[in-house]
Amino acid sequence: MDSAVVPPVIRQAFARRVAPVRTLAADAEQIARACRDMAARFHCGGKLIVFGNGGPSTDAQHIAVEFVHPVIVGKRALPAISLTNDTATLTGIARADGFEEVFAAQVRLLASPEDIALGISSEGRCANVRRGLVAARERGLLTVGLVGGDGGDIARDAVTDHLIVVRSDDPCVVKEAHVTVYHILWELVHVFLEHPGALEPEVAR
Amino acid sequence: MNDRGTETLGTFYPFLQTRAADVDALIAEATRSTADKIAEIVALRESLAVTHAQSLLDCARRLAAAFHAGGTLFTFGNGGSSTDAQEVAQLFLRPPVAGRPLPAVSLTHDVAVLTALSNDVGFDVVFARQLEAFGRAGDIALGLSTSGGSANVLRAFDEASRRGMITVGLAGYDGGQMARSDAINHLFVVPTTSVHRVQEAQTTLYHVLWELTQQALVGEL
Repeated sequence: MDSAVVPPVIRQAFARRVAPVRTLAADAEQIARACRDMAARFHCGGKLIVFGNGGPSTDAQHIAVEFVHPVIVGKRALPAISLTNDTATLTGIARADGFEEVFAAQVRLLASPEDIALGISSEGRCANVRRGLVAARERGLLTVGLVGGDGGDIARDAVTDHLIVVRSDDPCVVKEAHVTVYHILWELVHVFLEHPGALEPEVAR
Repeated sequence: MNDRGTETLGTFYPFLQTRAADVDALIAEATRSTADKIAEIVALRESLAVTHAQSLLDCARRLAAAFHAGGTLFTFGNGGSSTDAQEVAQLFLRPPVAGRPLPAVSLTHDVAVLTALSNDVGFDVVFARQLEAFGRAGDIALGLSTSGGSANVLRAFDEASRRGMITVGLAGYDGGQMARSDAINHLFVVPTTSVHRVQEAQTTLYHVLWELTQQALVGEL
């Protein structure tokens, strides 16, 4: 099809997705610094713990498999788990302590201080994701948030060490940008891990 | 690990100074590479809007008709694509924004079924066998494979086609074997060799397909 005759409904659907992704370029250095800190945690034997609700729960699982079994041949396997796929644990915690506790309770049981917690929320307003990040921070984990919209209360209350906000109110568009961000997170973590001199504590800032 | 690179840096530069410089250089390089990837995915999506416009419209109208007639959507894929299959099912079933909820099931998350089939028969049948159990004529089968060559995805399309289901495929590269399959009615290929960019673009394709299907269902497409 000639680009001049693309029907307006298609043109508009694709056009809505450009700005939120393009804007991410302004956060490129921030993303790079998050990756350096994540690589430092992996270098010390830490693991990545990921969580989110609904659509973002599938992103949590995608991120875990990305790190454990990279699509790029030859890259080492890194430890990563998603807190979203053990239905027995999720429903057990939800029943006993409420749905807001499902991630925080797992973090308290499974996390070590050298680990990384990555919470995903399309609008930054998921109580259980926030609690999971807060519980992680209390234990000394590196905390990273991947959010959308205006960043919600996760951004407002600065509950994470690193926060990447995709500026869109459409959760589908936010997800699309998040996929690009976490592919970059994975790739850059490996770049930093391949330069262990850059991961020593004395050069961390 | 790039041991040689580390050794070179340690050998040629003063200690702490070098490490700090090394970090700054890496951050600068990483920042640049991030900006490049963002430009790459934006351009890729722009090209897909042109190449897939008509197929998206046709497919959305077909899906709307199938849902209207009482059809159910079944989704499948491996690895990262299994998480896309779950996302697609969840999007149709329980839209996060205004939209009509539609019957959709992902065939990727029942561990009992997946391990039973893999153990007793083989991994190639994990999706096909479930379609044999659930799929009816007029239902929809949507499968994702970045290579276009996942054996269990191809087998599922064959089974779906035999059962008179509407089949939708999302693939990367040149579409691989999915491009040569007679069992796929609507095929969307993302023509790039980066698995990451393929997945990112496929996410947009299925989101747009959902939006258009919703519009078609209310007679606005």
